Amino acid sequence: MPTAERRRHLQNWVLLSPQLILFIVLTVVPLFIALPMLFTDIGNFRDTTVHYIGIDNFTQLFRDPRLAAEYKSAVVRTARFAVANIIMVYVFGLTLALLMYEVGFKGGLFTLIYMPMMISGFALGFIAIMLFGKTTGVVNQVLQELGLLQAPIDIKSARGTALILPILVGWQYAGYNMAIFLSGLLAIPKETVEAAVVDGASYLQRLLRVYFPQMVPTMVIVLTFALMGSFRLFDQLAALGAFAGNEEAQFLSVFLVRYGFASNRLALALVISIETFLPLMLIALFLQYVQRRLSYEA
Amino acid sequence: MADSLMTELARPTTGSIRRRRRFLRATIVVVFVFYALITLIPFYFLIVRSFVPTKKTTELWLLPPPAEEVDLDAKLGGLATFLNLDIQQFKARFGIPPEEFVKPQWSLRRIGEEYGIPEEELRDYLNPFIRYAGWFVLLSDELFVPALVRSLVLTVAGIVGRNILGILTGTALAGLRYRYQRAIHGAYMLMLVIPPLLVLLPQYVMVQSALALIPNYEVMGGLTRQAAQILAVLVFYLSPTPLSTMLFTAFISSIPSELEDAAKIDGASRWQYLFYIQGPLMRIPVASMTVISIPGIWNDFLHPFLYMDNSATTILPLINTYLGTFSSNYQVIYAGVFISILPLLIVYLSFRRWFIQGAMAGAIKG
Repeated sequence: MPTAERRRHLQNWVLLSPQLILFIVLTVVPLFIALPMLFTDIGNFRDTTVHYIGIDNFTQLFRDPRLAAEYKSAVVRTARFAVANIIMVYVFGLTLALLMYEVGFKGGLFTLIYMPMMISGFALGFIAIMLFGKTTGVVNQVLQELGLLQAPIDIKSARGTALILPILVGWQYAGYNMAIFLSGLLAIPKETVEAAVVDGASYLQRLLRVYFPQMVPTMVIVLTFALMGSFRLFDQLAALGAFAGNEEAQFLSVFLVRYGFASNRLALALVISIETFLPLMLIALFLQYVQRRLSYEA
Repeated sequence: MADSLMTELARPTTGSIRRRRRFLRATIVVVFVFYALITLIPFYFLIVRSFVPTKKTTELWLLPPPAEEVDLDAKLGGLATFLNLDIQQFKARFGIPPEEFVKPQWSLRRIGEEYGIPEEELRDYLNPFIRYAGWFVLLSDELFVPALVRSLVLTVAGIVGRNILGILTGTALAGLRYRYQRAIHGAYMLMLVIPPLLVLLPQYVMVQSALALIPNYEVMGGLTRQAAQILAVLVFYLSPTPLSTMLFTAFISSIPSELEDAAKIDGASRWQYLFYIQGPLMRIPVASMTVISIPGIWNDFLHPFLYMDNSATTILPLINTYLGTFSSNYQVIYAGVFISILPLLIVYLSFRRWFIQGAMAGAIKG
């Protein structure tokens, strides 16, 4: 290799080194540190009484009934939220993107839709309580005053968490999802749209036959993000009292953080997080593969 | 970008299309108004509810409730709970020795008589708590302003760091011609599918163990401890993300190589080219990266929560400390939440064009 080229590659490695080191330190090293811990009974990271227990941790989930019950509830709650969240993402994001696409870009509306992204997830949890608290929620109070509501919608109840929280999270990320759908729509060749219009297709037909088929990669991306985001949900739950006694806010993320940090069962928490999130990661990888295949075919 | 979108959608208008246009325009106005309501109402009520005292929270208040005078016959204990009073500060203010146990079932009037405090002074001291409710408690919390400052420091340092490191990485990966470039690019992209919770616990173990190695770290409240914690959190913000990698690599790849060739012919070294010629061109991806990072870092709860002490943390974990298992003073929480959102709102509305461009750039690259 000529020295000029070799020098350039060396320079590149120098340029890469800061973030590469950070990446290795933050992503690769922890996994290596955690790997041996999986087969021990280490309680917290300062634990000095560590014993080798083989694969006991891995089977614990199936052997301890109380743990299994708690875990199952967490999985159910998270999965319920994920489904509702994915629906909301499409309801908010796709509808608004279509609106923007058909009517033309409206800066003011975009600003408005994107504004809730400035709210932290943590703040959103408190806004949820402010609006939908059982006795103190503003929405409840207004609707009951107007006679439109008999029983209050309690955000901290199972129904509330399953139905209202996804709506609020969908509202928060509407701008983000709309942007992705919009970019997918803009990538559709205009000739296909015009041809459909000229051929007299109704809007629904245009939607189903022209837009959606050409948006499949975008939809897969949105699905991946929504899925990962649902399992990642944490801040909102903390605000809803996940660590202050709210049973319904015990999603998988909270369950793992509690077990990992608060219950002196670090090794177990590590193992459960792998048992939970490794399948999720494989699903996400599969979705990525699907999306890439679809992109190339288009 | 707005104009190109508009011209893209311009079509010759015939009668039916004009009617459809009008219908769509009407829809847009309806959607706009409806969406404005559901977006702005929560902000409005956040302010209103921060003035609603605990005993009135089950009532609907469309405007802040009228301010009351403190009731001198109220018992100290009850008052302290409602107003989030710090009894130590109360004692210090009126010269009561800190070891003295002031009986909570005594009324204020009785306490005034017992310790020789004139009623006027009691009123003056306690009225602001009632009138300004959550705001007074929040702003008088001595941890509050430092927390805001820490949030600001982390956000600014994070943005500057991310941009610099992002440019470095993007420069090195531009073109993606060689195997090592593609490998590293792919590795960074892989983070899209790695659930953060998978690495969260191992990361925590590693970071805490590393921090424990620093001399003087154990000293609670020590300067080394605080600085170390801030740096630890900052490190998370500086690590490569799929978005930053995509943004900078794609942009730099799009710079024609003739530019660097011309610079080389003129005798410039690569570093001179990068600093004097490529640097100024980076305004666009830097703007996008900045605009995406501002809410990302300012609103981050998890990392300061995990790694910083409650007495020396950023604004969101601080508000979290106001959340109790049995009772929480929601007035303070709502006031705090509003203040945590306000700076972002101001920045967002002032620079909204940048935010919109950044959002679309991020979306398109993804």
